[in-house]
Amino acid sequence: MRSFLAIYRRELAGLFLAPLAWILLCVTLFYNGFFFLAALEQSGGNVNASLGYLHRGPLWYLVAFLPPLLTMRMISEETRSGLLEFLLTAPVSDTAVMIGKLAAATSFMAIAWSSVLVFGLVVQLLGATPDWGQLCMEWLGAVFVSGLFSAIGLICSALSGTPLLAAFLAILSNLVLFMVPTGARMARGVLHEPALWIADRIDVRAHFDGSFQTGALDSSHVLFFVVWTALGVFLAVRIVESRRWMG
Amino acid sequence: MISVSHLVRRFGPFTAVDDISFSLERGEVVGFLGPNGAGKTTTMRMLTGFLPASRGKIEVAGFDVLERSLEVRRKLGYLPEAVPLYREHRVEEMLAFQARLHGLSRADGKRRADEVLARVGMGDRKRSLIGKLSKGQRQRVGLAVALLPDPEVLILDEPTSGLDPLQRIEVRNLIRELAANRTVLLSSHILPEIEAVCPRLIVLHKGRIAADGTSDDLVRELGRETFVAFEAVVPDAAEAVRLLSTLPGVDRVRDNGLVGIHRSFEIVSNDDVREDVGALAAAKGWAARELSWQRPTLEQLFARLALGLDPADAPDAVAAPAPAASVAQPTFAEHALPTLDANLALGVPAEPKPGSYNLNPFVTPPPAEGGADDGDGVCEDRP
Repeated sequence: MRSFLAIYRRELAGLFLAPLAWILLCVTLFYNGFFFLAALEQSGGNVNASLGYLHRGPLWYLVAFLPPLLTMRMISEETRSGLLEFLLTAPVSDTAVMIGKLAAATSFMAIAWSSVLVFGLVVQLLGATPDWGQLCMEWLGAVFVSGLFSAIGLICSALSGTPLLAAFLAILSNLVLFMVPTGARMARGVLHEPALWIADRIDVRAHFDGSFQTGALDSSHVLFFVVWTALGVFLAVRIVESRRWMG
Repeated sequence: MISVSHLVRRFGPFTAVDDISFSLERGEVVGFLGPNGAGKTTTMRMLTGFLPASRGKIEVAGFDVLERSLEVRRKLGYLPEAVPLYREHRVEEMLAFQARLHGLSRADGKRRADEVLARVGMGDRKRSLIGKLSKGQRQRVGLAVALLPDPEVLILDEPTSGLDPLQRIEVRNLIRELAANRTVLLSSHILPEIEAVCPRLIVLHKGRIAADGTSDDLVRELGRETFVAFEAVVPDAAEAVRLLSTLPGVDRVRDNGLVGIHRSFEIVSNDDVREDVGALAAAKGWAARELSWQRPTLEQLFARLALGLDPADAPDAVAAPAPAASVAQPTFAEHALPTLDANLALGVPAEPKPGSYNLNPFVTPPPAEGGADDGDGVCEDRP
C-alpha cells in the first residue's frame, strides 16, 4: 500500500508538472462551462436539467480524448527513458506500479469533472436547489468511466513505443467502444444473439445511463466498471511483463 | 551474496548471455568488462530481476531473483546505464520518492538524502531541477538515488559515464568506501578506472565469461608472456645473451639486433628481472639505454576482445627460440617482413616489432615464410 501511494503521488505530481495536463484541465473547464451555460439558457433556467446535460453529451466527447492524452506517456515514455526499469527494479510490485498510474490519471479526471460540482455549488449560492444526490452520483459515474478509459490508455501505452502512437491507439479504441454498442443497437434486427450479447457487455454508456445518470448507485453497474478496469490493468501488467520476457 | 549459475538469456535466435556462472562474496568489488554487446547490461538486468533469464538461477542475498523478487529488490541498489530520473522533479523530490518506494519514514528519508547527496558531492544542489542539471550531475544524482536505501548489493552500469576526471576519482573513492560492507558489481569501459577500483574482474565476450580473476590473473591468462626490454652497448652479443640467460627466472633471451650502436634484447621472464639485468650491465660495464618491463595491459587485452580477436590466437605472439639453444632466434615476423630500416627506405609503413602488441585491426601478420607454426605459438626456423 505504501509503495502504491508512493507511485500514485509521483504520477499525480508528474501530471501536474507537465504543461499538457494544465492545458487539458483548462479546455475541460471551459468546455463544461460553455455547455452548462448553453444548457441553462436552452432549458429556461432548469438547473438540474442543465447540470445533468453535462453528463449526457459533453462527457463522452471528453472521455474519448482526455484519458489517452494523460496516459500516453505513462509507460511508453518511461520505457524509453529507462524510468520503467527503475520502477520495476524498486521494491514495488508491477501491479502496484500500474494501479498507481491508473489512480493518478483517474484522480486528475475526477478533478476535471468536479467543475460540475462547483457549478452546482454556485447555483445553490445563487438561490437554486440542485439535486445533490444525482449530481454526486453523476460525478462518481464519470470517475468510474474515466478509470475504465484510463486503463485502456495504459494498455495502449504499454503496447506502443511512442506516446503519440499510444494516444492514437487509445482514442481509436475508445471510439470503437462507443460505436460498437451503438451500431449493434441500430442493427438489432440484423445481428445474431451472441453479437448483441457482446455489444451489451461492453456498452459503457448504457451502464452509466442506467445507474449513475439516474442518481442511483447500482452495484451491478459499479461492478461492470470495476471489472473492466481491473481487466485493463491486468492486461497492461501482462503486456509490460511479456515485453520484459521478450526483451 | 550473489550467486549466478548457468545463466542463459536469449532474445529470439540471438543468445546474449550464454551459460555463465559466477559468485560474489560480501564486500567484494567486481568489475564487469567486455566490449559492447558482450552481455554485461543483460546480465546486470537479470541480476536485478528486470529481465527474466531464459535458463539458469540467480540468488541475491540468499533469495531467488525470480521467486523472491521483492526481497531481492530491497537489498539492491541499481544504477542503469541510462540514468533514470524524473527530469521535472527536483533532486530532493526524486530522493524522497526513492525513500518512499523503499518504505523509509519521512525523517529517515530526509536524513539519508542529505547523507548520500553529500557523498556524491551534490549537497548544494538538492533544490535544483533535475532537467537543468548537467549530464555528470545527473549521473551523480542517479548514484545518490541508488545509494539512498543503503543497499547490501550495488549494481552500477557505467557509473562514471559523463563524469569529468576529478568526479571520476571521487566516484572511484566512493565505490572503494562503499565496498567496506557491500558487494559492488560495476561495469565500465574506462579500463584503468575499473582496474583501479575492482580487485576482481569478470571479462565477458560474446555472452560468455572469457576470464574471471584479478587484473594480473587476466593478463597472465589472456595475454602473452612478459619480458624485459634491454638495450645496451655490448662488446659481444652472443656472450651477452649467454650471461642474460643465466639470470634467475629468465626463460630465454632474444637478440633483436643492433639499433644504432645499441643492441636490443628481449629477456623473456614471468618475473620482473630488471634489477638483475641492471646489476649485470653495471658489472660488465655495458652502457644501457633502455631497461623496461613489458607486459600486456588490460586495455590491450580488452581492445583485442573488442576487435574480435581471440586472445589465445595472438597473431603477434612472442615466438620462442629453439629449446636447445636458449638464445635469440628470429620470429616469423622477421622472416616474413623486410627489416624496419628497409621498410623506411621503401616508404612502407612500419610493422610492429616482434614481440610488440598489434592492436591494429587492419594489420595482420602475414604467414611465415621459411618457418612453420606448429600450433603452439612457436615458429620454428627452417633456413
